[in-house]
Amino acid sequence: MKVIVIGGGWAGCAAALQAKKSGADVMLLERTDMLLGLGNVGGIMRNNGRFTAAEELIDLGAGDLIDITDRCSRHKNIDFPGHKHASLYDVTKVEPEVRRYLHNKGIEIVLQARVVDVDMENKSIKGIYLHDGTLVDGDVFVETTGSTGPMGNCLRYGKGCSMCILRCPSFGPRISISQRAGVEDQLGMKGDDSFGAMSGSCKLNKDSLSEEIRDILNRDGVFVTSIPPEDVNMDKLNIKVCQQYALKEFAENIILLDTGHAKLMTSYYPLEKLRKIPGFENARYEDPYSGGKSNSIRYLSVAPRDNALKVDGIDNLLCGGEKSGLFVGHTEAITTGTLAGFNAVRIGIGLRPVELPVSLAVGDIINYEKEMRKTPEGLKNRYTFAGANYFARMKDLGLYTTNISEIKERVKNLNLTDFFNEKLI
Amino acid sequence: MFRYIDCADYGSEFCPCSLAERGECIICSQLKNQKFCDCLNWKGTCVYQEFIWNNEKSKKSREYRKFRIVEKRYLREDLILLKIKVNQGLARELCNIGAFVFLKPERDIEAYSTPISIMESDIINNIITVVFKIEGVKTKALKECDKEIMVKGPYWNGIQGKKYIEDLKNKSCLIIGRGVALAPAVLAAKKMINNKNNVYVVLDRGRSEEHFTESYFKSYGCVVKPTKICNMNKYILDDTRELLQHLLKKWNYEVVLSAGNDDFHRLILNYIHNLDPYIKFATVNNSTMCCGEGVCGSCQLRGKNNEIIKTCKQQFNPLEVFGEELNSK
Ligand SMILES: Cc1cc2nc3c(=O)[nH]c(=O)nc-3n(C[C@H](O)[C@H](O)[C@H](O)COP(=O)(O)OP(=O)(O)OC[C@H]3O[C@@H](n4cnc5c(N)ncnc54)[C@H](O)[C@@H]3O)c2cc1C
Ligand SMILES: Cc1cc2nc3c(=O)[nH]c(=O)nc-3n(C[C@H](O)[C@H](O)[C@H](O)COP(=O)(O)OP(=O)(O)OC[C@H]3O[C@@H](n4cnc5c(N)ncnc54)[C@H](O)[C@@H]3O)c2cc1C
Ligand code: FES
Repeated sequence: MKVIVIGGGWAGCAAALQAKKSGADVMLLERTDMLLGLGNVGGIMRNNGRFTAAEELIDLGAGDLIDITDRCSRHKNIDFPGHKHASLYDVTKVEPEVRRYLHNKGIEIVLQARVVDVDMENKSIKGIYLHDGTLVDGDVFVETTGSTGPMGNCLRYGKGCSMCILRCPSFGPRISISQRAGVEDQLGMKGDDSFGAMSGSCKLNKDSLSEEIRDILNRDGVFVTSIPPEDVNMDKLNIKVCQQYALKEFAENIILLDTGHAKLMTSYYPLEKLRKIPGFENARYEDPYSGGKSNSIRYLSVAPRDNALKVDGIDNLLCGGEKSGLFVGHTEAITTGTLAGFNAVRIGIGLRPVELPVSLAVGDIINYEKEMRKTPEGLKNRYTFAGANYFARMKDLGLYTTNISEIKERVKNLNLTDFFNEKLI
Repeated sequence: MFRYIDCADYGSEFCPCSLAERGECIICSQLKNQKFCDCLNWKGTCVYQEFIWNNEKSKKSREYRKFRIVEKRYLREDLILLKIKVNQGLARELCNIGAFVFLKPERDIEAYSTPISIMESDIINNIITVVFKIEGVKTKALKECDKEIMVKGPYWNGIQGKKYIEDLKNKSCLIIGRGVALAPAVLAAKKMINNKNNVYVVLDRGRSEEHFTESYFKSYGCVVKPTKICNMNKYILDDTRELLQHLLKKWNYEVVLSAGNDDFHRLILNYIHNLDPYIKFATVNNSTMCCGEGVCGSCQLRGKNNEIIKTCKQQFNPLEVFGEELNSK
């Protein structure tokens, strides 16, 4: 039984790993030369409700990748405006670690393999075609191609290609596989009713900042300084993906987090303005390269799916990560990717796919996003354990806690301890 | 289903063209009345990006320019070789697989535009060589040109399945053809030899003692085998069948380039496909062309899903158009 995972971001890595752990042969196809996709420019874990979700995953037996991000963290248990007890993984360490881990588990990883089309038979996918025309057969497919770009979308809905980590000109554009299979994508919206949303942070080269700022970042993980009043731009909050960071503090202050690079918590910031700020005189961008001008556009390609993450209308296609909903975050991608990988194996051996219980945050978010996506308002929201409306819901429902033994107890009472560690084949 | 689709102008100085401006781009969904990316073939540049940065206008299209004829030679009473001194840019752009130009006399109207393949492009002296056969009104007009001629180009879609030839390295290719259609195969052979491929040419001399392409092929290092290939494009002669079977076995060709008219393509392609289903095919483009810009529709063809293919610009997989088995499905 062969599971093919398309797209090697956090969601794809989690899906591949879970499908392998459940007993399938797994091939992971990624168009660039690196795994983790946007995970190469993120780093924030365990902030706010993500802490609860991370612990739930660990207790459910799907904590492998969380263990890696914990191990690669430069800072643990730090606070910054609106966020508590965050960990910041080192983006320069985590990708090779994940790649080795998946490789050692026996997953076949194929890089620079862009999937461009599907071979259909009735309502199921028989195989997929790579950009060079190679046909790859499989039994069940998981699409985790994300929702970012490609260039034309970043141009139409943003300010053009800003040369982000996905590097479309070098590796070719993202393709919506579900759409090629005949299922139309849904689109996220911005606050102003237009489509898509702009990524909410960029990265500065740490060495280009003053020694003082570097020292503070290395020591505390966070550096905050105010923006000159004439340069404050509240409008930017509206276009931003990451509603958990769409707070007044983020418009009025420069907030830097230490993820190996200096993560700047705003979509983009003109370089000449940035360089007016003390300590930033020599600043330059690390990601996107044109972070002074723009950032990538996301959420233009979300598949309709059920709560087991099977794509509507296709018998053997599942989805995870941003492809499976208006989710933001690594933890969210790992959560959905894991369930998609698990259900891929169940479908492959003829079992009914399962849902996660809504009494856990990891199950509730999947169900809640699906409900909300039906409404125009819901299409303007983003769903993350880390903030905005979903974190508020977690608190309302009593799902949010940082009490590790309580989370353990919850999972145990559901009889789901180590659920994902059991082999299906 | 994997679609072999490409536009010969994609990414060139002529892209985006007027098709893009009017929402009819062959490749880009954003420039084909959609609001989202779903491009059909990526070759390293974004057509939409080029379009926006060009102030939402198409690039300037090709225009006729007058060039000097430096040599005119009758190869036969109805077969003329012309060497034309062009400029450096054009010579270089025409030194590509599938390159062709439109030619016409200066005094004649645009309707006299005649697509003619580049057989050779000398990029040191900026001289292109073409051979044309006198057929009807347009080529008769070309025959009148002695000193000067109007040239419009460069165009690149003179060979279908171009990618298969361009991608070929350290492999082997069979060129099989007859008549004037062998002219574009000369340039293709030279490029393939440069890429360290073995090139074997089976050609039909027709009424001539020696085919005009033979000396070119030989000078590049191709093995040339003259033979009578077929009868009226109806059936392949027994000796040739035997020869082909023998060659296929011996050389393990990756690609076969068919250089004849469309009936010839059909005959050769289906015969070889039945012997070896893994061989890829390229074919010389014989469409009737008028504008060369994807606009007039005279070159139009229907693909296997009944989709319109503008063959002056658009690439197709010859197997899908000339293959009998696929067409009858
Ligand atoms: C600048 C930035 C900073 C961020 N910071 C954080 C953070 O600190 N913490 C956090 O939790 N979240 C952060 N996020 C959000 C988070 O990174 C994403 O929501 C999450 O990683 C998405 O994972 P994914 O696997 O769904 O998609 P992606 O990471 O987009 O992965 C999709 C992968 O599929 C590949 N692919 C696409 N099409 C094809 C194809 N046709 N064939 C083969 N492969 C294909 C892509 O190359 C890519 O690798 C950040 C996002 C950005 C842009
Ligand atoms: C890409 C391309 C490259 C070509 N290269 C060469 C070449 O190197 N040497 C050469 O001798 N011929 C070449 N031809 C064919 C040449 O263009 C025609 O023979 C010429 O147009 C005939 O025009 P006519 O008025 O003289 O003859 P007509 O009597 O009008 O027609 C004679 C034959 O030529 C075809 N033809 C007529 N008009 C056109 C047209 N506008 N475009 C294409 N075919 C047409 C007809 O279908 C007919 O089979 C090429 C054609 C194409 C499409
Ligand atoms: S020749 Fe005019 S559309 Fe092709």
